[in-house]
Amino acid sequence: MLFSMSRNPEEPVYNRIEDARLALGLTRQELADKVGVHYQTIGYLEREEYSPSLVLALRIAKSLNQEVSELFSLTPFKKGK
Amino acid sequence: MSKKNKIYWFEGVTEKGVKALLNDENSKYQWLRPQRNRRILVILMSLGLVLTSLGSYWPTLKTNLNLSPGVGLVIYSVTVIFVIFATLGCYSFLRIAVRSIADAPDELLDERQIAVRNTSYRYAYFILCYVLMGLMVLMFFGPELQMFQPEGNDGSYVVIAALFATAALPSMVMAWREKDI
Repeated sequence: MLFSMSRNPEEPVYNRIEDARLALGLTRQELADKVGVHYQTIGYLEREEYSPSLVLALRIAKSLNQEVSELFSLTPFKKGK
Repeated sequence: MSKKNKIYWFEGVTEKGVKALLNDENSKYQWLRPQRNRRILVILMSLGLVLTSLGSYWPTLKTNLNLSPGVGLVIYSVTVIFVIFATLGCYSFLRIAVRSIADAPDELLDERQIAVRNTSYRYAYFILCYVLMGLMVLMFFGPELQMFQPEGNDGSYVVIAALFATAALPSMVMAWREKDI
């Protein structure tokens, strides 16, 4: 893809940010404020169109009370897990 | 409220100005944000750049229309001024459409925005190089085009268009490629 924003488009990072965010009843804006990024960035992350840095992944996991390994994976998550 | 508004002289923006655009504080600009509208702006801006760069060659049109020198000069001047201001207007709208990300300093952006901005500058640089290379090839190997033989002018409109393009290309690239969220 010509204008890919992923750090490594060949190996996308899958995540469960949206599920975890909705479970806590947070909006994208609220999570963005907690993490210190723009709300659009949360949108891109949830759509797996952007892979976060390690620091951002850690901040998101902390804000959502999850472990990084529970939120991010190099393989697709199984549905309902 | 008394916090000082930091001015970033190098980037030509202010902290409050960038933050207002990033946080969508002014809802009257929301119509600029959908990708379709951003792409229309990019097309209009490209058109404005082409017309501005050809400004030096418009006097030949004046003679082709067989207008009297006075009327021709007035029509020519008004049209040139209109095109330049319209292009400038397009550039202002483009900056708003991409929330001034292309011009903002790192400390006001998050990591994705910095990555997007950097990629946009990279592609803008390549586009500029290819356009200049194309013009060079035309000048050296192409037919003797009228556009490379301005009569009685200094080609200043090409310089104005080049300045506009250099400043606007990163925003244009960003406006074109950013998806709607």
